[in-house]
Amino acid sequence: MLIARRNERILKNILYVLFFCLITIIFIFPMAYVFGNSFRNTQAIWRNAYPFTLKSFFTIKDFTMDGYLYSLGLTDTARFQGVNITRNLMISLMSSLAVVAISMFVSTAAAYFFARLPFPKKNILLVLVVATMMIPQQVVTVPLYFVADFLGLINTFWALVVPWYSSPFVVFLLIQFISDIPYELDEAAIVDGANRFQILWKVILPNCIPGLLTVGLMEFQFIWNEYFWPLIAINRTKLQPIQVAIAAQFTDRAQNWGAVFATMVLASLPIILLFLFAQKYFYESVASSGIKG
Amino acid sequence: MKTRIQGNKASKYLLILFAVPALLNFLVFRYLPIFWALRTSFYDYSLLAGFRGFIGLGNYVTIFQDSAFLQSMGVTLRYFLYYVPSVVILALILGMFVSLPKPGVGFLRAIIFIPVVTSFVVVSIVWGMLLNKDVGMVNAILQNFGLPRIPFLMNTKTALPTVALISVWKNVGYSMIIIVAGLKGVDKSLYESAYLDGASSLRIYWSITLPMISRQLMFITIWATLQAFQSFVPIQTLTGGGPNKATNVIVYHIYNIGFNFGRMGYAISMSIVLLVILLLVSIIQMKMFKRDY
Repeated sequence: MLIARRNERILKNILYVLFFCLITIIFIFPMAYVFGNSFRNTQAIWRNAYPFTLKSFFTIKDFTMDGYLYSLGLTDTARFQGVNITRNLMISLMSSLAVVAISMFVSTAAAYFFARLPFPKKNILLVLVVATMMIPQQVVTVPLYFVADFLGLINTFWALVVPWYSSPFVVFLLIQFISDIPYELDEAAIVDGANRFQILWKVILPNCIPGLLTVGLMEFQFIWNEYFWPLIAINRTKLQPIQVAIAAQFTDRAQNWGAVFATMVLASLPIILLFLFAQKYFYESVASSGIKG
Repeated sequence: MKTRIQGNKASKYLLILFAVPALLNFLVFRYLPIFWALRTSFYDYSLLAGFRGFIGLGNYVTIFQDSAFLQSMGVTLRYFLYYVPSVVILALILGMFVSLPKPGVGFLRAIIFIPVVTSFVVVSIVWGMLLNKDVGMVNAILQNFGLPRIPFLMNTKTALPTVALISVWKNVGYSMIIIVAGLKGVDKSLYESAYLDGASSLRIYWSITLPMISRQLMFITIWATLQAFQSFVPIQTLTGGGPNKATNVIVYHIYNIGFNFGRMGYAISMSIVLLVILLLVSIIQMKMFKRDY
């Protein structure tokens, strides 16, 4: 009896380890493949392609930084061909930061309005806001093009920022976070003679920093990774965010594969590191969407 | 008791100023594109020539007689059938697995979630290379084992399931985290009493765990459905709708007709049709889940 139970436990542990390794391989190998090949040149990548062995996969024999130098426009060939993704990285960074910064104020103010302030028929407004979450984004991207065009945003940096400076989902999440702040804190501030704006600034904002981090990271990731919208809204190479630049580099005829891999690493590593350091907040944004859904 | 700041009626209406910047965004960039698209759908409209005359429901009549649209909807439906069950079942299995009280589950959660924060462009390109017939690592491994090489993305039979599989790899972590959050909320004492009553683990799973996370299951099903109908990035970067239109999903079709063929009015009418279909599908799914639990 005791031995049978011990055997069962051992079997369960072996199964756990096997499944653990299987998941790890499925999810780590593609990333390792990109990372490893970003330090090789085109010839070495193809030489290692077949036969597949762990040795050819992990070899550091062909180590070179040329892919990175080329992508960042630091070699003569790159300068001659006009390749430089630094600019695209900067555009992605600036637009993501701009959206997060503006949204921090605009969305929080709106969430404060819905969570705390008295206003006739406020709930109808809220329903209209929540209803926009039902709109599938990719489906309305093409119509959005015309609104943005009418406003003169197409082919400007602001096309990447203005349509996204607030989001119904972010407002909705922030309403939940603000509702969790005890109302007594507002009351204490009112007794001290604070007005609504001061309450928002001095009571609400400091008390929902975890909420702001959650939605801020979510928006940063959304804008950084967005592809469909910039693809149609921006067709000047110099203004393309990094994701569009990667796709262009991939479909380019004279491919420098090491550089393609290096660009993918440069475009993904910042967001992956951000995730690894702030996992809690990423999970929080996902989990709360599931609960409210 | 809530204390209220007393003010005259005018200042009460002024409170909406807190929400105006966000509401303006939703009005202009979420609602306006839909109304604009509705209006445009009644016209013969192209990118270059602009509005060329009112044709009433003409676009809509054409859509339902258009074999290209019906073919594309067929592809989308098949994609939906591959994608949604895979995501939901895998998210359930992975979510249960990483909720086990074992060492290393935090690591697993993180690596499964990394594709979620990585851009779809990067994920598509990586898998496009891994699955390439001549140089891809997956095919090299197949050949190592003496198996024939498979042109995953170049074959009309395998291209669509392959794209669905890539999307599952990219997105399953999101649904998994929602399941994990749902499982955290399940009352542990329910398990104990069921166990004491002699229920088998399968029975416990079926009668206790699944019903307790039915809200999360509903959310990930609807979420996956919306994603399935809006798939665009892997198609645009990897297959271009081919081979022989086998992966010509609807959002890509709309993009193609609008921007590459210049038939914008028609493309936008298709967007409206898709929007209505998606709203109906979401509502039906919500109703189905409500009835079951």
